[in-house]
Amino acid sequence: MSDVLNGLRRDLLRALLIALLAALVGLAVNSRLLWRALSGRSLSSGSVAVSEPADMVLPLPVELDEVRELQGTSTLLIDARSREAFAEGHLPGARSLPRGEVTSELPSLQAEVPLDIPLIVYCSGYDCNDSFVLAEQLIAAGYRQVRIFEGGLPEWQAAGLPLEGGQP
Amino acid sequence: MKTFLAILYHGSRLALAAIFCYAGSVKALDVVAFAGSVANYQLLPYQLNFLVAATLPYVELAAGLLLLFGRQVRPATLLVAGMNGVFILALLSVILRGLDIDCGCFRPGGEGHTSAQMALLRDVGIMLLAALTWFGHGRRNS
Repeated sequence: MSDVLNGLRRDLLRALLIALLAALVGLAVNSRLLWRALSGRSLSSGSVAVSEPADMVLPLPVELDEVRELQGTSTLLIDARSREAFAEGHLPGARSLPRGEVTSELPSLQAEVPLDIPLIVYCSGYDCNDSFVLAEQLIAAGYRQVRIFEGGLPEWQAAGLPLEGGQP
Repeated sequence: MKTFLAILYHGSRLALAAIFCYAGSVKALDVVAFAGSVANYQLLPYQLNFLVAATLPYVELAAGLLLLFGRQVRPATLLVAGMNGVFILALLSVILRGLDIDCGCFRPGGEGHTSAQMALLRDVGIMLLAALTWFGHGRRNS
């Protein structure tokens, strides 16, 4: 009986060792992505001097709690993902502006949304660069209050918050 | 009888190996989509979903490859059974909370939609394969 238990204990230890080694390989392979995802929140503590000229202003990050608080206010959410992804589900009240269509869509946005309206741009989370690029383009187009929700749709979903559009 | 048991053991071992090599590799190739699938379960804080998505596929791959080559079969089987047990608990919580999500078991963010009930049934089958492999290997080495 003790042989069986000892054998089981040995197998269990080996299994844990294999899991640990494999997980370390996974961490090493995905280190860049993980660094971005895990350090995402600390980016929010950064600040940009208000005296900087418009073309020097970088979009600041905004966190999930603040995005939730700003729901229903004048702040407009901009979804930088593709039209197809937007149609499958997006943050409530968001407007679709795919990064690739910004040149053609910007005039209609400017016609409908005044430049002093605060904008929050998001895409598919930390591994997605579209929101940052789009936010820079919106700042260049004259919008002065542009921020990025870096966690994007995945963080919104992970918090169990409802989406608009897509399947019921 | 002996031949039948040998076929049963090797069949179960290779089936488990194929399942976990496939599951691990497709997830490892699209970690971000898999992180989204993990997030859909609404069990972990946002950043932890990435940690699970970055490591779990490699543990699955390691267990699958060891089973494929017949090395460290019992530890690899324990690993498979342990992961499968966690998957079963996660799927049960999905069913209890009434969430309608894709299980994300094989194709994270893919077009296929496998319900939690179907995935649970599949995981019970995988548990059976793990039991056959475990006891089959024990019998061969006793």
